[in-house]
Amino acid sequence: MQNGDTNTDQNGSGSSVPRDTSRPLTEEELDRYSRQMIVPGMGKEAQLRLLNAKVLIIGAGGLGCPAAQYIAGAGIGTIGLVDGDIVERSNLHRQVGHATSRIGQPKVLSLITHLKGLNPLPNYVAHTCHISPLNAANLIAQYDLILDCTDNPATRYLISDVCVLLEKPLVSAASVQTSGQIIVLNCPPTPQGLLEGGPYPPCYRCCFKKPPPANAQLSCGEAGILGPVVGLMGVAQAGEAIKILASGLHVPSTTPPKAPVEPTLLLYSYSLTSFLSPFTFRALKMAPRKKSCFACGEGSKGRLTLEGVKRGEPNYEFFCGLSSGPKQHVLSEEDRITPKEFVERVQQGKDGNSGKGKYVVLDTREKEHFSFGSIAGAVNVPFGKLLSKAAQIKRGGETPQVGDILPPEVKIEEGKEDVPIYVVCRRGLDSQEAVEKLKEMGLDNGGKRKIVDIAGGMKAWKEQVDPSFPYL
Amino acid sequence: MSAPKPPAGHFNILYFASASSHTGKDMEALPAPLPLRKLFDTLEERYQGIRETVLDHSLVTINLSYVDMPSSEDEDVVIQEGDEVAIIPPVSSG
Repeated sequence: MQNGDTNTDQNGSGSSVPRDTSRPLTEEELDRYSRQMIVPGMGKEAQLRLLNAKVLIIGAGGLGCPAAQYIAGAGIGTIGLVDGDIVERSNLHRQVGHATSRIGQPKVLSLITHLKGLNPLPNYVAHTCHISPLNAANLIAQYDLILDCTDNPATRYLISDVCVLLEKPLVSAASVQTSGQIIVLNCPPTPQGLLEGGPYPPCYRCCFKKPPPANAQLSCGEAGILGPVVGLMGVAQAGEAIKILASGLHVPSTTPPKAPVEPTLLLYSYSLTSFLSPFTFRALKMAPRKKSCFACGEGSKGRLTLEGVKRGEPNYEFFCGLSSGPKQHVLSEEDRITPKEFVERVQQGKDGNSGKGKYVVLDTREKEHFSFGSIAGAVNVPFGKLLSKAAQIKRGGETPQVGDILPPEVKIEEGKEDVPIYVVCRRGLDSQEAVEKLKEMGLDNGGKRKIVDIAGGMKAWKEQVDPSFPYL
Repeated sequence: MSAPKPPAGHFNILYFASASSHTGKDMEALPAPLPLRKLFDTLEERYQGIRETVLDHSLVTINLSYVDMPSSEDEDVVIQEGDEVAIIPPVSSG
């Protein structure tokens, strides 16, 4: 090792953060980082860039935990973590930086405990709050590179916008159920609105102009997530971050980048039913910065400013359709029955129609939820399947029959046009839509057959009827 | 491993994330050639409601490269036999 190297950092000179790129490494650093420093293309300069770098990881969950482990392990000098949540038991199958013994602790503090065990040398900064339009700029401004490890679209647009405004590279990943995606955005960072001399790299809005409608936004809590799927994406985020920092690509530039600016969107989709899925990984070439982009395109300086974001413009909640709140009650009272009433009046026969074949319980949850249990005698037609069956029948122009929707094991005798159908789902929203759909198809036989929603779904069932029901 | 070759006169379309749950499929072969401009109409015809819940906010690739949805006939791209089209909705969770 040579001490007292002059500053040979070719890219670091314009950076906003002081870079001591000439100091010798300590004994401990030499030992600890030796295996990564000898990798071709790394060496002392690259390691010093990592040691001098400041990385902000937003979200200490399924993406943030694996990402933070490798960021810490690699010796990034300052590691900020942002999250306002606390550790829950249902996090632990994927959020590997927490521990059973730390359930109930703030996630950020729990993760820092884990990271310090891995590598005590970095400076860990705890931000035990959620990122918001009010604090986003202050948080992001203190760092060189940002990892978006969050879990909702409003936050994703906010982080991307502020990264454009503050000229920070953004490594963005997301994952739900069995698929994940990762992309590097705004790298090398380019002044907002600059198009001349391009192409320049895109931001999140260049790739995804509009968020999905609120009712199509899946959360891990509702839709599920496999640990390795989200873990792989988080690890890939750390990989991209280390690459960018080691090669000095995080430094803002006003000259057109020499490297290609079309980033790769890596998709990982993992099929539980066909293990030789033909497209486990897909690397897609994205487009550069878009002239029409709201945040970084032509005229964007007039639309998107730091002051504006703080004031609530744009309104991210509204943009992502969240301000209206969840849909609650669409059916009239006569089309609904509470779980308690269902037990008393239907199952126990106070309405005079109990017993086998006298009524049908249609459970519209996904089959995985259904596999843990349901109301006695219930049949399962997942909501999505029900809608697509209905659409198929409509396209075919046939007159729908009950048997077209209900599974074959349900036998309704000829002439029994009045056997009622009780529809139940997880929390009582899909079931209401299902009731409407079935009526729209004419399966109520002009009102002869009652089609009724079990209000509040299996969640209410657990609360009112069976506290031991395995509701997920 | 790559996806199976589409039959003659067809292209493959891959459905990711919510596109896959809406169609109930990972992929299928559709008749080619098809102007890109007509792609969403073709899918809406097959999968009622998919435009609003999935397509409008998804990105589309042809042969692994991002394509902009043409706003007029002049800008149109034609999906050819043997092409691979993908519908990629944004994923937000983590």
